[in-house]
Amino acid sequence: MEEEKLKKLFSELAEKTTEAVRPDLGDDIKGQIPHRLVPHRRGMDTINIIIDLRISKLTAAAAIIITMILCVNFLGGRGSTSGGIFHDGVLMMRYFLTGARVNESDLSAAKLKYEQLVGQGREAVYYGEGIDRQDSNAVLLHWKVSEGEYRVMFGDMREKTVSSEELIKLQAEMLQKSK
Amino acid sequence: MAAVELVDIYYERIYLFLRRLGHSRHVSEDLTQESFLQAWRHIGQLRDGAALNGWFYRIAANASKHYWRSRKGKEKAGVEGFEGVDRSESGDDKAAKLEDIDRLEEAMARLPIKLRQVVVLHYLEQLTIAEAAESAGVKEGTFKSRLNRALKALRNEMGS
Repeated sequence: MEEEKLKKLFSELAEKTTEAVRPDLGDDIKGQIPHRLVPHRRGMDTINIIIDLRISKLTAAAAIIITMILCVNFLGGRGSTSGGIFHDGVLMMRYFLTGARVNESDLSAAKLKYEQLVGQGREAVYYGEGIDRQDSNAVLLHWKVSEGEYRVMFGDMREKTVSSEELIKLQAEMLQKSK
Repeated sequence: MAAVELVDIYYERIYLFLRRLGHSRHVSEDLTQESFLQAWRHIGQLRDGAALNGWFYRIAANASKHYWRSRKGKEKAGVEGFEGVDRSESGDDKAAKLEDIDRLEEAMARLPIKLRQVVVLHYLEQLTIAEAAESAGVKEGTFKSRLNRALKALRNEMGS
């Protein structure tokens, strides 16, 4: 058989062997994306922090946090996701458990920027206090600029525009370091 | 979000790639999910954006290879046909063409896995030689050599 005819048949075979994929498959796969590669949705901070701690094997700390949230909510204290007792508790435990130093003003500025971006309806992801602030490549916040292009704020407050592939690499590095 | 976009870009392509390698729908779905789990696990190995295609297909190809290895002798490739093949058009030419396509599909199913894989990667998935070689985990020279062997085998079967 001639090569040209064979190539044409391949192209027709490619067409023939195209079938509809189960619609839920993409959602199933998205549901398995590791937590650190998934955006922190507004209002989910508490849950996400607890999951982060669990991933870091700090289950005891998570239990303490949950207890604190329950106490704060029960006693009508300040909102648990907007700073306050809960936030202080997390910082205190991080200090005791990991010795991490946290620059509060930087974090507040990043969090504020995140809130503004979300308020503007932008696709933004804030990684919160869980990142290693000593790591200059750790992503603190990122938001979508255009299709396939993201603006990233690093732990040292540096900002850079990266492609989606570069962002995946940065997230992957964070994921590996967190193991 | 990049990870979600990665799923959107690749899940259908990877599923079809696995189907074209001869896996059933159910197995292709499982292997697609397995490929993404492996991708999240090894995402740090991704060298640059240009390598993304080859890198992702390689993960899926490895998942397929491990599957065949674990089911050696217990399962045949390409036993479950594809949905939605339009055979309604009449005419001798159309019928002859459909017959040729069926014969090519059957001949591909009879190829050894390594040869079937190179044909699927290059001709059906339409990856470049460099991307397809990366996906198959071999050097370009080896890939071209396998492709030639596969084409020769298919030509012989189709010509007879």
